Order: sequence, then C-alpha cells, then structure tokens
Amino acid sequence: MIIKHADKIASPEVLQEAFEKRGYICSDSIATAVYLACHLQKPILVEGPPGVGKTELAKVTAEYLAAPLIRMQCYEGLDEAKALYEWKYGKQLLYTQVLKDQLGDVMRGARGLDESVERLHSFGDIFYSEQFLETRPLLQALREPDGAVLLIDEIDKSDQEFEAFLLELLSDYQVSIPEIGTVKAKSKPIVFLTSNNTRELGDALKRRCLHLHIPFPETALENQIIASQVPDMDGSLRDQLVDFVHELRQMALKKVPAISESIDWARALLLLNVDSLDEKWVRDTLSLLLKYQDDIEIVEPELRKIMTQINPK
Amino acid sequence: MQKVFADFIHTLRQQGVPISPAETLDALKAAELLGLQGKSRLRQGLGLVLAKNEQDKQTYEHYFDEFFKFAETASPSGSEALEDGDDLEQQNEQSSDESSSNDDASEVSSSSGQGGGESEDNEQDESSENSATEVSASSPLGKMLQASDPAAIAMAIAKAGQQESVQNIQLFTQKPLFSYRMMNRMGNEALNQELLALDASDELAQQRLANRLRSAQAQLQEQVKDYVEQQYLLYAEAKGQQLRETTLQKVKLTNIDNHYMHQMADLVRKAAKRLASLHSRKRKLRKRGLLDVRKTIAANAAYDGVLFHTRWKSTVVDRPKVMVICDVSGSVSRVARFLLLFVHSLQEVLPRSRSFVFSSDMGEVTDLFKEHKLEDALAEIMSKWANQSTSYDKALADFSENTLKDVDQKTTVIMLGDARNNNGNGRADIWQKVYLQAGRVLWLNPEHINSWDTGDSIMASYRPYCSELHCCNSLKDLERILGNLLKHS
Repeated sequence: MIIKHADKIASPEVLQEAFEKRGYICSDSIATAVYLACHLQKPILVEGPPGVGKTELAKVTAEYLAAPLIRMQCYEGLDEAKALYEWKYGKQLLYTQVLKDQLGDVMRGARGLDESVERLHSFGDIFYSEQFLETRPLLQALREPDGAVLLIDEIDKSDQEFEAFLLELLSDYQVSIPEIGTVKAKSKPIVFLTSNNTRELGDALKRRCLHLHIPFPETALENQIIASQVPDMDGSLRDQLVDFVHELRQMALKKVPAISESIDWARALLLLNVDSLDEKWVRDTLSLLLKYQDDIEIVEPELRKIMTQINPK
Repeated sequence: MQKVFADFIHTLRQQGVPISPAETLDALKAAELLGLQGKSRLRQGLGLVLAKNEQDKQTYEHYFDEFFKFAETASPSGSEALEDGDDLEQQNEQSSDESSSNDDASEVSSSSGQGGGESEDNEQDESSENSATEVSASSPLGKMLQASDPAAIAMAIAKAGQQESVQNIQLFTQKPLFSYRMMNRMGNEALNQELLALDASDELAQQRLANRLRSAQAQLQEQVKDYVEQQYLLYAEAKGQQLRETTLQKVKLTNIDNHYMHQMADLVRKAAKRLASLHSRKRKLRKRGLLDVRKTIAANAAYDGVLFHTRWKSTVVDRPKVMVICDVSGSVSRVARFLLLFVHSLQEVLPRSRSFVFSSDMGEVTDLFKEHKLEDALAEIMSKWANQSTSYDKALADFSENTLKDVDQKTTVIMLGDARNNNGNGRADIWQKVYLQAGRVLWLNPEHINSWDTGDSIMASYRPYCSELHCCNSLKDLERILGNLLKHS
C-alpha cells in the first residue's frame, strides 16, 4: 500500500482520532493493530462476536486512507475461480466459433498436420490472455496500482482448502496463475480478515496475521459510540440504554445484543420520541435487540428486575 | 533487548502458547515500531503478534505482567524500566556483561553496573551522615545491607540469579538449593564470618551492627526466596505439566485416577485437533469451478460439436461415516468415556458419526452430544446406561432392530468392548450381518490380548467378523487407531 500521506499513520493516536472523526470509536488495541498492519505490511485477523464492528473497521480504514475497498464475502464452497480469477469461457467459445473461418484462411496452404500445428503455435496463447481473464476480488486487489484495502469477510465460513490457498497471498502478496505466471502485487494491499469463530482457523493462517480480538465494548466506550452514531440522543437516556444492554449481555442468551443492535435500538427510541426508558417501551421494542423468540421469553419476566437495576431510584 | 524478548517468548512457549520464530521476529519489529515508552501500548501490540486466540491472549497478558514486573523491580531505576527504552537496553547490556564475566563473589556489589556503583556512593554518604559513631560493615554484602538501597540489592539478586542460571530450574525441590547458592554468590559466607567476628567483640556499637545486619540478612534471604519462586513460576512450572501430560498419554486409561480425568479430557481434545488438521483436507480430488472438458464435449455432441452447454467440475467431500458402539459397563466404561470424547471432538472431520452405548439395552446417544457439553453428556450417559449387567445378546439384538438398516458399504463400525458376556451366547450371527453390510468393522478391546477368551470373554466368536482387532487401553492407542481410520477411509 502506498500511503500518500505518511503522517496519516504516524502513530496509533493519530489513527484513533481520525477514525473517531469518521464516526468509528475504537479502543487502543484496535488503533495499535491498524498502525502495526500499515507499517509491518501484515494482514489483520479480526475476531469477535457478530456486530462489534469488524467489517466496519475495514471500511473506515479504506475511507481514511482514500483507498478502494475490495470486499470478498466467504462462504462454504468458495474457490479460487470465484475469489481469484476465471477464464471467460463463454467468450472463448464464442470467439472460436466466430474465428472458425479466419482459422481456415490461416491454415490454407499448410502441408500436413505438423505444419498446421506449427502455424497455430506462432499465434501464441490468444485465448488464454488478459482479454479473456475475468478478475475476481483477490486479483483485483493485487492489481490495484495504488494499493487497496482488501476485506476478506467471514473467513471461517470458507473451506480449509481455501484457507490454505490464501497463505501465499497473505505472506508474499502474490498468486500463481498457471497460464499467465505469478502475479505480484503492484503495491501491497492492507488486508483485513474477519472471523466469527464458527470454526478454528489453521495455525499457518494465524501465524501470518496480526490477531485482533474485538470484544463487546466497555460501558463508557459504547456510550461514546452511540453518541457518535446517534448524536441527537439525550445523554441520560443513552446511559440507561447502554446499562440495559450491558445487563442483557450478562444473561445466558442465544444471541446477546451487539453494538449494531444497540445503535438500531437507539435510533428507534429516538424515532419514537422516548425520553426515558421504562418497562413499557422496553417491552415494545425488545425485538430490536433480541433476535430469537426464546431470548425474548427469557428476558421478559426479568424486565422489572433489570429496570430497577439500571434505575436505582 | 533481544535477550529479554527471547526469555519472555520462551516463558510463553512453556505455558503452551505456540510462538514461531517468524512471530518472534514480528514481535521485535512491532516493539521497534511502537517503542518501549508506553507499557500498555507495547502490551497490546505484542499481544496482536504473539497470542492468536482467546485463551493464549489471557495467558499472554498474565505473563506479560508477571515478566515485566520482575524487570521493574530488578532494574536500578525501579519502575522506569519500561517507561524508558534506553534504560531497558542499558540494563540488558549490563546483564550480558555480567553473565560473561564470571567474577568473584566479593566483587558483586562493586560491579553491579552504574546503578550499583552510584548507590554505593550514596550509601557511604548516608552512613557517614546518619551515624558518625557507628561502625560500618567490612564485608561487601554487609556494606550493601547496611546501605539498604533496595535498587542495588535487587540488582545484586538479579545478577546472582543470572550467574547461577536460575532460569534452568526444573523442579520445585530445587528452590532451596538455588536460594542457597545465590546467597553464597552474593557473599553470604563473608558476611557470616563478619557476623561471627562482631559477636565476639564486646563493643556495644559492634553488637548493634551485628543485630542490624542479621535482620537485614534475613530480609535478603526472604527476597532471594521470592526471586527464585518467581523464576520457578516463570520457567519451570510448565515443565512439570508437560512431563505429566506425556506420562498420561501412555498410561492405561483404566488406571488413571479420577483426579486426572479433567486433564485427560484436555489431552484428548489436543489429540483430536491434531488428527483433524492432519486429515481434514482429504477429499476426492475433483475441482469445482473449472470447465470439465470431457463432459462438455459429451454434452454438446448433439449440436454437432458446437459448444452450447458448459459442464463444470465439482468437488466431492469424502467423509467417513462412523458408528461407534461402546460397552459402558464396568471397567470398559473408562475407555468408552475417552473413545466417545475423542470421536466427538473429531466432529470437524467426522460429522456423520453416530454413537451408541449399551450394557444390555442399546441406545443412541448422538443427539445427547449435540445438545449438551461433552462433559455433561458423558456424565448423563454414564449415569443412565452404565449400571446394568452386560448382555451382548440384548444389545446386538437392539442394534439389529433399530440401526442395522443404516449400515452401508461406506460405514465404519467401531465396537469397543471386552466381550465379557456373562455366559450368554453372544449373538455372533448379528455381528456377522454387521460385518457383511459395513465397509469396515473394528473391534477395540481394552483388555490385553492374553486375557481375551479367558473366563466369560467370548472374543473368539466375534473375531471372524472383524476387519481389525486392536487392544486399546491408552490415549496413544486411541489416537493411533483413529488416525488409521481417518487415513484409510
């Protein structure tokens, strides 16, 4: 990655401040991770529960460094044809049909098979050239002249083969395409890999990355995040909201509410003109925070207790 | 700088955090980038590079604090050790100097670097200020104790530790030995002699000095003990653990004390992870996403070879289908525990495994493992199935009735049992059916081969209907057998 302004990544504090201006409030360790990734040219493996801002981190980094964000969503069965490159088979077939007559002209006058093949060879690998190459996200990121931010989202959903395939890319920033040769990055991209820990990633992959774990934020930090995302919200209501969400996270739920859910909830409360959290409002909007009926059933009977805990009057 | 890092990383490795040399280099680079000024920043930065999962992160953080706490107390400038980068380096230069020069005990206090030297000057100033009438100690250690400069003492302790290479400590029984040697290295002998001499004299001032020195000496002894203790915790505690683990792998599962059960479960998980990563990439090699030329040409034959339809290659995942049948009665139950634990830890590579347990009635417990945690599921199985008298007749009849229809040529059936059937006939005919229908049939017997077919064991009647027979009673056996299973499936 060519950073046009080196002072943009002068220190973790600079990054932290700049991200904050763009509405991404991050902890020290996140800023340190991005700082090290920029300087050591290493990919960051971001782990953490869903909704803590893993993908958002890549986005805000791309925005800040004014680099294109190239995103690749992983899923089971993803392979290099979808991730790296593919030949435009349709175009190749079409061209062979269209050029059939031309081929006859070229071949005219050739004596014997040997000479025909010889002549064909002299045209080189027309059908396996750049024109027929369909680039996919990974190749695109390597070819970006000024570098890019490459986001490989939910790497844990991909197969282990794909993980192994990524190793060359992540350590040397190059890939081998048999027909063309090795493609080396023009300028090394900044790579973010995100994982929800649905399966344990291989040690080889982990070794090549900086490992950043983003947990649920502390109360103060979450308060700050919501303040920046939903600036119109009243301070005392925000405190109540954050406390409430933190109480929920202590409970044994199928899926505890993440930051993104707290933000949605804050927006909803603002829209509904709620000025103070009470049991009724919480009960009505609980479905925004909890995504499983089972969880809602667990929380509802406890509501009164939680409300008295966060409003100790 | 490198030395401290190498020590720190060694400590982490001892605690089971896997750190490769490449990561060590990364850590050094990261430390250079971040500087050594901010301790918390450095702690976070190194954490990103060195610890790659939740558990390792916790270990890392704990030992970072432990390790550099020591650096703080031992450095001449106290808490500035990490605040000031140069200082840390300086300290290390010193320590490397010190370790190279294997000097006499008498030189300890005078050669303890700049910090020590200064403190000695201070000491003389102070002692002359404090009490001009007082007698000052003559032995070097005595002088140092009299000065009671904590930094100089800490330095001397660290240095003596280095000279005696305390980091090589292996067993907790060595702790007193190391403390003793370190005390000697610091000049305890000379001090003792001085104390004797002081006791012999009649002057009050000298006796007072002796008393003061004695208490200081005791204090120092305490400090040295603490130091050795700390080093032991840093360097050696894990070694004992490793030793225990290797022994546990080899010991008979039936003989393992309940106390170690928990640790065994961890070991099983480790072994399962190793097997899973070894065998997870076994798939039939058919690539998906690439044009399958042969099929495409065949598919378009009808269009006079004009290629209208494309055909693509596909990947077939080849995962063995495993049925595990465990006898959970009596002595077999212990081995069964681990087999079940093992098989279910292998979910990643054996997603289609099904488990059955019996003593007389047979029941499927696959769902139990899915719904509960492994330990809870095991506990429930043991309480529900284990307390019946063994009957292979009944169990196999149940199996034939409920499950035999699901056994096909791709299935591997693993039976774990001692074939002690309380003198029943054993229904080997059902086992024959299983054998004919399944791809492979493994019988694991926790008893040694010599005791098969003795007493009420009817191994001989099942023997013809097994693809493989193994004696299996240690974790190593289990790992080997399951490894083979994965390799050949």
